[in-house]
Amino acid sequence: MQKQMIISVMSKDRPGIVANITGAIYRLGGDVADLNQTVLCGYLTMILSATFDPEVTREDLLAAISHIKTDCRFEVSIKEPGPAEPATQLAPPEESYILTVQGPNKAGIVHGVSQFCFERNINILDLATSLRNSQYTMALQLDLRGCTLSIDQLQKDLTDYAASTDLTVMIQHNDIFQVTNEVALH
Amino acid sequence: MLRSDQILATVEMIQKENLDVRTVTMGINLLDTRGEGIKSCCDNIAARIEQVAGNFVASCEAMSRRYGIPVVNKRIAVTPIAFVGAGYGRHDFVRIAQTLDRAAGNVGVDILGGFSAQVEKGMTATDRELIAAIPEALAVTEKICASVNIATTGQGINMDALAMMGHTVKELAERTADRGGFGAAKFVVFCNQPGDNPFMAGAIHGLGEGDAVLNVGVSGPGVIARALERLISNHSSPGSLRFDELAEEIKQTTFRVTRCGELIGRAVSRAMGIDFGVVDLSLAPTPTIGDSVGEIFRILGIDAIGAPGSTAILAMLNDAVKKGGIFASKTVGGLSGAFIPVMEDALLAEAVGDGSLCLEKLEAMTAVCSVGLDMVAIPGSVDADTIAAIIADEMAMGVINSKTTAARLIPVPGKEAGEEVSFGGLFGASPIMAVRNVGKSSRFIAWGGRMPAPLHSFKN
Repeated sequence: MQKQMIISVMSKDRPGIVANITGAIYRLGGDVADLNQTVLCGYLTMILSATFDPEVTREDLLAAISHIKTDCRFEVSIKEPGPAEPATQLAPPEESYILTVQGPNKAGIVHGVSQFCFERNINILDLATSLRNSQYTMALQLDLRGCTLSIDQLQKDLTDYAASTDLTVMIQHNDIFQVTNEVALH
Repeated sequence: MLRSDQILATVEMIQKENLDVRTVTMGINLLDTRGEGIKSCCDNIAARIEQVAGNFVASCEAMSRRYGIPVVNKRIAVTPIAFVGAGYGRHDFVRIAQTLDRAAGNVGVDILGGFSAQVEKGMTATDRELIAAIPEALAVTEKICASVNIATTGQGINMDALAMMGHTVKELAERTADRGGFGAAKFVVFCNQPGDNPFMAGAIHGLGEGDAVLNVGVSGPGVIARALERLISNHSSPGSLRFDELAEEIKQTTFRVTRCGELIGRAVSRAMGIDFGVVDLSLAPTPTIGDSVGEIFRILGIDAIGAPGSTAILAMLNDAVKKGGIFASKTVGGLSGAFIPVMEDALLAEAVGDGSLCLEKLEAMTAVCSVGLDMVAIPGSVDADTIAAIIADEMAMGVINSKTTAARLIPVPGKEAGEEVSFGGLFGASPIMAVRNVGKSSRFIAWGGRMPAPLHSFKN
């Protein structure tokens, strides 16, 4: 049975990182499935899942990556999910909402919002933030399936939270964003 | 996940630009409710509406909460009542109107449309009775809207019905003189009336429809206006912005607005187990500041609504709205375009007041908008034949151009041009528009008969 590994790589950004890493995987007979990468302040981080023959080990993969000739060191972390830990990516659940937070930049915005979600058992599926002209913006994709509140109550809590933090906060169903931004109508 | 800028653009649209679903209108078939007498007919109608629409308002509100977008109006359209009450007399029809009014109240909808007849070619005795009942029916009910289709491109204009319409409009206004002639605001005369239009006063559940259907009206002139302002003010070199880019912005914004309407409409229809009909993507203004079609004229470069160029702008606007909406939705219907209801649009009303918009220019503009002479307050002294003749001109534009046109004129009793009338709420307010050449069309109206259907080729 094939073995799955989740590999995370961080490095100073330069052309060829994806080619290097996937080359090392390919030479070990690995097959890349999902991959996500992003670049922030000149640093690249990438997370990917790949399957290998059972005899390939984490150490083999670490060694293959460490043999890549490069000026910038790769920081690599590899996990092997067990059978009780399915690593397949799920589609966003039906109770998926988008929370947007905007306001003047100050310390603790991300922590405050994520703590707000945690206290209500809301899982953050995806999160992007940006800082432009001292305005901080967060967009979070949230899974409300485990949320302890109704959407009405959550809206009220968010209104209170926005008032107490001087942030503009809004939550809308994920479908609204999909239908207004994607051509395909599901 | 979507990109942050896409997310923020949508947030902007919902939060700051009054995005809403203007109306979800449930069409209900009443053809099998006639019964053996007027009492059983009324009982059947009340039971049918209660049965089909009992949880309609609650379902709309649940979906509105789920998606965080308001559904402003929840309405019902029924089979044109002249078909339902075949053989009944005018007093029976008034009873049916009262039944519909109570039923609408019981299920919590604000307006019910379909007190209607379709007489584009000829009138049955029942049609005449229904038309005769309209003034009283609308005077004694709160929520009922009436419409009569007197013309189609395929059949021409029924001139006998046209002559009656002038008197119907006058009597409607006079019976509700204490409310500025408000009765006439609930009555509309059509050419090529669609059977799936969710907007009032002209919504009906057409004969080609099933037992029950949900149609959604999306609007959003405010959203379009803000999108245009943002495009103009954020443009890197404003001098290089061209008219086609403005049209493109309208198209794309309409796409987004329509999509939201369709999402919510389909969710309500799934929750209720009722077929989804169409999205009607119309720019329907409300008297609220920032929700005006008139404002779009100003943004697009006309300093006074009614000035030369107004018709061209409206033509582009109507077309761009259709293009964006038709691509966005699986099923489009109704009126789909731009409305210019004078009383319901604060800036159009203002243009009437300052004299920049006159009846003749408004009529020209209706040749390229999606409805017609809508919510136009005229002096109460204008006679029935002149009103019929104004309607005739509007009908002729629809017949020849193969489009829907309509006339909703309010001859305000006891008031003259320049005086104000206000109905409050969504019906709005406006100065009264002058009508020139009053009393000079009676010989034309007196002919009766039919205006023949037009040629369908050689369209130069």
